[in-house]
Amino acid sequence: MLSTPESRFLAGGVDLLGEMKDYIVSPKRVIDLKQIPGLDQIDTTTDTWKVGANVTIAELARNDAIKANLSGLAEAALEVGSPQIRNVATLGGNLAQHSRCWYYRHRDLRCLKRGGSTCYAREGENKYHSLFSGNPCISPVVSNLAVILSALNARVRVQRAGKEVTLSMEELYSDAWNNPLAHNSLRPGDLIVQVEVPTQKNRSAYLQVGEKGDFDWALVSCAVAGQNTGGRLSDLSIFLGAVAPVPYQVESPLLEGGELSKETIESIAGNIASKATPMAHNGYKVPIAQALVRRALTRVIS
Amino acid sequence: MSGWPKNPKQLGKEHLRYDGLVKVTGSARYASDVQPAGWLYAMILRSPWPAARIRAIDLGPASSVPGIRAVVMADDPPFVVRYCGEELAAVAGLSKQACLDALRAIKVEADILPFVAKEEDALRDASPRVFENQPNAAQPREMQTGDAEAAFKTADKTVEGFFQTQVQLHNCLETHGNTVKFGPDGVTCWSSTQAISSVRDGLADNLGIPLDKVAVISEFMGGGFGSKAGAGVEGGLAARLSKEAGGLPVRLMLTRFDEALAVGNRPSSFQKVRLGAKADGTLVAYQLDAFGTAGYASGGATAAGGGGAGFPAPYIYRVPNTRVRQTTVAINAGSARAMRAPGHPQASFGMESILDEMALALGMDPVELRIKNDPSEIRREQYRIAAERFDWKAKYHSPASSEGPVKTGVGCAGATWGGGGRGSEAEVRINPDGTVEVRCGTQDIGTGTKTLIAVVAAEVFDLEPSAISVKIGDTAFPPSGGSGGSTTAASVAPAVFDACQNALADLVPASGMSVPTGPNWRSAAARLRVNPIVARGRWKEGLSSKGVGGVQMAEVEVDTETGMIRVKRIVCVQDCGLVINRLASISQINGGIIMGIGFALYEERILDRQTGVVLNPNFETYKLPGAADVPELDVILQDMPERGVIGIGEPVTIPTAAAIANAVSHAIGKRVTRLPISPAQILGLLGKTPGITNPSRGTG
Amino acid sequence: MAGTLAKVSAAAQSIESLDGQKPVGPGPAKVGLQVNGNRHELEVEPRVTLLDVLRNKLQLTGAKEVCDRATCGACTVLADGQPVYSCMKLAIEVQDRAITTVEGLSHPDDPTPIQRAFVEHDGLMCGYCTPGFVMSLTALFNARKNPSMEEIKKACSGNLCRCGAYPHIFKAAQSVAQAGPAGH
Repeated sequence: MLSTPESRFLAGGVDLLGEMKDYIVSPKRVIDLKQIPGLDQIDTTTDTWKVGANVTIAELARNDAIKANLSGLAEAALEVGSPQIRNVATLGGNLAQHSRCWYYRHRDLRCLKRGGSTCYAREGENKYHSLFSGNPCISPVVSNLAVILSALNARVRVQRAGKEVTLSMEELYSDAWNNPLAHNSLRPGDLIVQVEVPTQKNRSAYLQVGEKGDFDWALVSCAVAGQNTGGRLSDLSIFLGAVAPVPYQVESPLLEGGELSKETIESIAGNIASKATPMAHNGYKVPIAQALVRRALTRVIS
Repeated sequence: MSGWPKNPKQLGKEHLRYDGLVKVTGSARYASDVQPAGWLYAMILRSPWPAARIRAIDLGPASSVPGIRAVVMADDPPFVVRYCGEELAAVAGLSKQACLDALRAIKVEADILPFVAKEEDALRDASPRVFENQPNAAQPREMQTGDAEAAFKTADKTVEGFFQTQVQLHNCLETHGNTVKFGPDGVTCWSSTQAISSVRDGLADNLGIPLDKVAVISEFMGGGFGSKAGAGVEGGLAARLSKEAGGLPVRLMLTRFDEALAVGNRPSSFQKVRLGAKADGTLVAYQLDAFGTAGYASGGATAAGGGGAGFPAPYIYRVPNTRVRQTTVAINAGSARAMRAPGHPQASFGMESILDEMALALGMDPVELRIKNDPSEIRREQYRIAAERFDWKAKYHSPASSEGPVKTGVGCAGATWGGGGRGSEAEVRINPDGTVEVRCGTQDIGTGTKTLIAVVAAEVFDLEPSAISVKIGDTAFPPSGGSGGSTTAASVAPAVFDACQNALADLVPASGMSVPTGPNWRSAAARLRVNPIVARGRWKEGLSSKGVGGVQMAEVEVDTETGMIRVKRIVCVQDCGLVINRLASISQINGGIIMGIGFALYEERILDRQTGVVLNPNFETYKLPGAADVPELDVILQDMPERGVIGIGEPVTIPTAAAIANAVSHAIGKRVTRLPISPAQILGLLGKTPGITNPSRGTG
Repeated sequence: MAGTLAKVSAAAQSIESLDGQKPVGPGPAKVGLQVNGNRHELEVEPRVTLLDVLRNKLQLTGAKEVCDRATCGACTVLADGQPVYSCMKLAIEVQDRAITTVEGLSHPDDPTPIQRAFVEHDGLMCGYCTPGFVMSLTALFNARKNPSMEEIKKACSGNLCRCGAYPHIFKAAQSVAQAGPAGH
């Protein structure tokens, strides 16, 4: 029953009910996850923290341990939606959420991602769309948490066909890079149950730029995480959100003595610009991405 | 001139909103809240195609959906639809769910027709035509004064620019709609409307029933901004559904999706401007070639003011030689409707932007340039007051000169509006227990009409406004006009004043007291014994007038690395003649400025070129200013009681976007040419976006 | 929106136990709601939202349907004291939560300090967004006695006002914050 393609899981409901109201999806069966005990815990007893999939975004944002040790995660959580959304939206739901592309979500269209023949965004209104994509669909990943959890090397435990599998963040989204029909790598019936977050990277930051000052999707988001040992930063990861169907990794710089050199910043900026394939209206995301990477790195290093 | 008391006790003070309590406690009943016994839920099926010939509509499957009680077609096929969202059919049933299922069950046979979604495309000869037998572009309207061509030759400086503004949606929070009950005594309609009389006329006409059998009620309504001036197609459909359902009441409120498609918008503008001036700043020549779209139709049919996409040019400035040519071009989109100061925000943006270009070319302070060419003494003085409050001189430095990536800039703009009053009537009742009732068939669209009525009556009777009971929004009450054009206060206040004076004139002999007002009120009224005094009044000259100005200055910060814009502060100096309720007037000014911020930075209806659909029929991507987007607002509300009541709702939203655009341009040293101003546009202007050579084109 | 809801009993120890559950719906199902301290037994389809039930079955019309997509806040109610969008909650999924609407805050003649402040500072115009703002700020003041302006704006960030009453809304909230605990 759980693995029928016509079932969907209901967590916070913000994504699923929105899709159902516009008949983007019309599941025959909806399964309320909130009744499953044990999925709403935050376990900080070991080096690798375990966050249940039903933990709400609000809880993530206000959790003192997360604010102190995984500050980027708390920052990313606080940027999700609005208080009303954060009170009900869950970690699992946020990671698994579907595309926000306005062609995909339009009740009177059937774009490529929904099994139609055309990605309308490619030749159309694409100011919010991907700079990088491995497939004809250019709908970007919009989960704030996916970006920071990628930078933190988190792993995701998924119930799949009666067994449990653990996916890296890259594996969680990799299908979306190649497959226009995919929002992520989850299969029908898959259920995220827990996210494991290593805490070795004790410095992290999350930044985003939107059009409005609050309660707005990011035009570009950036998460940076690294390990600070006695003033030296190592194991640095940089990820961008809202620029690709997956959290997009930017090559990490070599840091000399914990300082961010001008050359390093320029080489990162160059990497982003050279690999991006802007559409007609989203080229502006390149300079925003460059600026956010520099600012996030500066935050983490200082 | 003004017939108002010289030293009023109530007029001009801060008064609490009459219906504040019922609104904050959720007990106010809007048209969408009214639930007469047996009421049915109703919804509309709309065309998903931007252009189609509808051959057949099969309502049968909808009728058999459980819970459905009535189904009607919007028109008899075959007929042509010309935009996504045009009405096809409507259903009524016991629940929203039944209606949703019924809509999906309706079978529509249609031939898809060619369509056009962009103004520039629609202007081309080869473009699909919105109407088969006429070109998309209406005959241009051309106006000339003096000899612009010759005058340009005498100009010391000439500047040019191409400016664009977007289609903006009203997006009132309460959607359009009505709860209609069709019974043996006639039709009762609870309407979300700015014009109960128009709704009444429309329903009577639509249904072919006499006016005395139609009653319209709109005591509370959740915003209009110009879009709710009649019964609308939805009102007619609701009435027909009610009739089909044997007279059961039908509530048909539009969805948010519907609101983006079919109930009006502010036309776009594409403005090619040329301005010439002497070295001392005197403007000598102005030329405008402009077009814009009002959707599939001219927009004049239901608008409360101004058809088509035209706007006043060169707006408020004195230029002796002008040549203005404007065209409205049709596209397959919903028709425009009057939206808060129709034409003026577009006019202001184009004119104030080119004026700042001229200021730069002349090396002149923008405020001084405006004062030099503004024929309005009120506005010139407002510029001086604003400049001092704003600290304009100190803040106006060479553009883009602040340190660091975040640049600060300032800009200014002026406004004009008519307002004024016209025919309105009112009735006052003084009861023997001293209570006072005022009835007027006007509307309160959030502006505080009930409060101003109470304040006027309180002024005449020397009571507190809380002693006055105000009833509005019912066609059974003395007629008043629709609430549009910023005319309600100037229409209603004199009528109420007249009615109260007439009532007082009756109370004097009836009570035998020469001064029955104030502390004598109770005993004077008691002498009436049994019968109340009922007096009528009507609008009369001497208490209202027309014509206001308004000036706004904006200070912004622009992050030149991310393109993010933040409005820090806006100073507004606004006149509106005699202020009746200072508190509500300030609220109006704040609200108008915030709507102007939306026009400047966030709002745009986006119609897709490939598919003809509206891509943002929601608040997710049609972005209204939120709590984090509100700057410091510093408002100076001027008192000019000698001018009588004028009206304030619209002038206050006119110059905001222009002032912000000028401030942004000042901050980055590049001219903003398009609204809404986005990070994408900023980065393009700064040359930071790969591959962008002309940032003024497209939606970037 | 044809769907059914499989309600998992609280005793389920593993996700696989969902397999044994009998789904509810799609026709009307028994739903028990706790609203403003009162218990309501209803029969509604699983796909019906809490907002729909509040307005159209319980005549609690303070919460408004404005966007129906969790973007504007006019439908905000409290679920166990937490502000949520009632348009994005199915009635059937909130049976175990205590729901408070604006009608449950006070008697219409006896407004709360926040409601009084809204009137005193004119934090409203057409009033359609007002119950939603009142609910969001009520939750804020239940959690923080003296919130900063930043916290006030954050608490309001999920509510839209098209009339633009924000400045006076903030003033109203600030006046309650400054009044201190006695003002609540």
